[in-house]
Amino acid sequence: MNPRLNITRVNFSNLRFNIFYSLLILILALFVVRLFYIQVIEHQTYKTAALDTQLKEYKVPAERGVIEARDGAGVVPIVLNEEVYTLFADPVYISDIEDTANKLAQITGVKAPEYEEKMNAKTRYAVLEKKLGSDVKDKIEKLAIKGVGLRAESIRTYPQGVLAAQILGFVNDEGEGTYGVEQFMDEKLRGKPGQLKAITDSKGIPLVSNRDNILKDPEPGQRLLLSVDIGMQRRAEKLLADHLKSVRSKSGSVIILDPNSGAVKAMANLPSYNPAEFYKESDASVFTNDSVNAPLEVGSIMKTLTVAAGLNEGAIKADTTFYDPAKFEIDGATVRNVEEDGGAQTRSIADILRYSLNTGAIYVLKQLGGGEINEKARKTWHKYLTEHYLFGQKTGIEQGYEAEGSIPDPVEGFGRNIKYANAVFGQGLTVTPIQFAAAFASTINGGTYYQPHLVEREKPEVRKKDVVSGKVSGELRALHENSVDKRYPFVDRAGYKIGGKTGTAEVASPEGGYYDDRFDGTFIGYLGGDKPEYVIMVRIDDPKIYGYAGSVAAAPLFGKITSMLIDNFAVSPAGE
Amino acid sequence: MLNLFKSAPRNRSRQTSRKLNNFFDDGGSTPERKHKPDYLIVIIAIILLIIGLIVMYSISPALAAAEGVSQHYFVTKQFVAIGLGLLAFVLFSYLPLKFLRRSKRTLIWLSFIMILAVHFFGEQRWIQIGGFSFQSAELVKFTVVVWAACFLFERLANSEIKSTPKTLYPILILIGLVGFFIAGLQSDLGSAGVIVAIAVVMAFAAGMPVKRLAVIGGIVAVGTVIAIASTPYRQDRLTTFLNPASDCQAAGYQSCQALIAIGSGGMFGLGVGNGVQAYGYLPEAENDSIFAIVGEKFGFVGTGAIIGLYALLFSRMRRVILHTSDAFSRLLVIGVLTWLGIQTIINIGAMIGLLPLKGITLPFISYGGTSLVFVMAAVGVVFKISRYMAYSPVRNVALTKNEEGPRDNSISGRRQRRPYYASVSGR
Repeated sequence: MNPRLNITRVNFSNLRFNIFYSLLILILALFVVRLFYIQVIEHQTYKTAALDTQLKEYKVPAERGVIEARDGAGVVPIVLNEEVYTLFADPVYISDIEDTANKLAQITGVKAPEYEEKMNAKTRYAVLEKKLGSDVKDKIEKLAIKGVGLRAESIRTYPQGVLAAQILGFVNDEGEGTYGVEQFMDEKLRGKPGQLKAITDSKGIPLVSNRDNILKDPEPGQRLLLSVDIGMQRRAEKLLADHLKSVRSKSGSVIILDPNSGAVKAMANLPSYNPAEFYKESDASVFTNDSVNAPLEVGSIMKTLTVAAGLNEGAIKADTTFYDPAKFEIDGATVRNVEEDGGAQTRSIADILRYSLNTGAIYVLKQLGGGEINEKARKTWHKYLTEHYLFGQKTGIEQGYEAEGSIPDPVEGFGRNIKYANAVFGQGLTVTPIQFAAAFASTINGGTYYQPHLVEREKPEVRKKDVVSGKVSGELRALHENSVDKRYPFVDRAGYKIGGKTGTAEVASPEGGYYDDRFDGTFIGYLGGDKPEYVIMVRIDDPKIYGYAGSVAAAPLFGKITSMLIDNFAVSPAGE
Repeated sequence: MLNLFKSAPRNRSRQTSRKLNNFFDDGGSTPERKHKPDYLIVIIAIILLIIGLIVMYSISPALAAAEGVSQHYFVTKQFVAIGLGLLAFVLFSYLPLKFLRRSKRTLIWLSFIMILAVHFFGEQRWIQIGGFSFQSAELVKFTVVVWAACFLFERLANSEIKSTPKTLYPILILIGLVGFFIAGLQSDLGSAGVIVAIAVVMAFAAGMPVKRLAVIGGIVAVGTVIAIASTPYRQDRLTTFLNPASDCQAAGYQSCQALIAIGSGGMFGLGVGNGVQAYGYLPEAENDSIFAIVGEKFGFVGTGAIIGLYALLFSRMRRVILHTSDAFSRLLVIGVLTWLGIQTIINIGAMIGLLPLKGITLPFISYGGTSLVFVMAAVGVVFKISRYMAYSPVRNVALTKNEEGPRDNSISGRRQRRPYYASVSGR
């Protein structure tokens, strides 16, 4: 026997290994079949699916136009754009949520559990923080945490702070201009977004190398220059704020308008808000620009326009005198004057404005009707309200949500005569402060209604010529200056011509009728030398001090504004 | 045909015969009948390594953008890993098999130490060592191949392969340990599965009775069900796999994007410089999902070729098994082949939607230093064994208890007397 065969042969059969191996090869063959199916037969399906997620069409946002304002002879920015960053996380990629939250919280200064909670939510896009500055962004980028990203977005910033907030409005989270100039001029400010059709990565960043990318550059938004002078605006806002406190009122407005162009030089409203943090406001009413958005019954300042209509129609003359019975019975209602009027006596047209005679205003209305309040009187007054003074329609000033106000119909409705009798002294019809200021300006500037505007124009736009004749306009100025000289010496400044009229309006209650204890004080007036240079409209809502709101609340503020204008801005004194 | 090797066997025949004694008693001791190894094995491995490197290079801008690292980060690391892998390959292709047998204990201790180090000082599955992350599961795979080869060889030698206490219990203990440490502590069900599969296939091939294997199968099945039921993400993966259309957004996202990548490649692919899916769409693009990227860039031609290369590699390994008479060597190669085969199937199967997702790398191609180094070491071992192949297949017959004994050896004497050992190229 061969000794070599004596050895213990340790081994095993190949059979079982071959079974395993055959299975392995069979599976690989199956894989090839499956791959052929996916890659060749179903190729188109998967190609479509790939493009569905990879090919994205984008609007490339255009840079929003900046807004500037006048500052004396210069121009300063009032709304700018800034890049800020939204911090987000895709929890799928984050291995240690607690650690990531801690690292991020250290930089942003927010409590870490807040981030943890957000990242533990079932989402692939957890927004952790918004509006981060570029310094914070750099620090977060240095951490280079997988699954944490920053998305740039452009927001509005306000180098002048809260100044003119309601004129400006703001840009909401959807990128839409809301309220103010931002809303009215949204389309122009926005520009035209560009277009990009591109294969992108999963975050939506286009892959540059792709040949089929289509790019159309965005057109940046228009830059706007406001007619507002920020120095004047700032002073007006300050004076208004201080004054509201002293007369214990919650809200009010001041408009300073250039009567020779329609340019609004200042438009202050309170209460206001901070446009940079608009999202923190819970009460949307602070966003509205009450000078444009809130019509009111303006009260006796309307008499300036009543007299203007009477003079222009030739129904009265500047030196007309008439017997004033001190009360009128119309449609069963009694219209009286204020208590201090001195009773029935012979009055002049100047007295109507100086003493704010309601009966005097009704006298003018009667004269428009040839001696009584009739359809002719109503129609004439209505014509002046709507076609000369352009009430009951938008002025077209560059503000969102502009209100139209309402004018009663001259031929329809119950109690038309008393309605119209009320309308001549500013009750029963509503007008916005800007409507009134623009209309008043047209009666004292020689008779031209300029388009009131906040955005600077190359040349003023005339909305209506011959609102009143030039002669009547001169007569009106004399009347207004006379009434101010006599009654409000505190606004008398030597060498400057100032004219104006107070108004104390009853406030309509939403339930019908008027409140017994609430009055709005108004004042319309102008300041200038040989010709009016500024028209000033003041509105003080419901001041809680004794006396007629127009005299005790609105007129003093008008005085302060005129002093401010004379002290700080070029007003040319008469005769120079 | 045999011209090239005519002289060698004759000159050595006596010496060889003497050595055989030792050889059969002590599996794995290096016989001195060295000849040309099967170079094809290492050539295929290197081709696959290069393919992986090219794909990684081509997606590195995308990876850099998605992961916030420099452009060269992945390629540089992979380059170093390939260097280390080749080093491991050379080392193990020269190391005597005897040494491998003797280092069994060292490997086992090392595995435990690394698992504990990872657990106490590292992340869930890896530990940072000198700029590289070390995945302990990869070391365990290598260790289990060596251990199972030694263990099964001893059982075969002692005719205890069918013994429940001697053979079944140790394997069950191994499965228990792997289940506890890898599937449990490291929460790596995929790697645990590969390791168990290596041991089980080796035991199966070595002739462990099917009944015992059924016991193992039952225990593994129960363990898997528990593992899946206890973790929500595994349940998600399973339900996604069973119902792929239901959830293309969240849980099924990776499978879905992998299919899109492969399918959009078409017949010839988008080209090496093109391809979009790596740009953040497909998670783990450089690693577990790299096959899908290959599909996108090189199309069916590319994926078919890669599967072909794997099949060729496996067939060369099978050839080594069939042409080797040493049971220990054969067990080692079976272990390595199982390791690479199972990983390839699990990885590609998941990418083409035929298997649920598992965090398993594609051998040679996927990014990952540890996997690469140990796989290359294993290929080194196979390469070494290929130096001792017989020219034609060895008829290895299992010995049952009855057949046992010197006279029952069914290997023909002639073959023993006249071994024709030849290299691959000898054909």
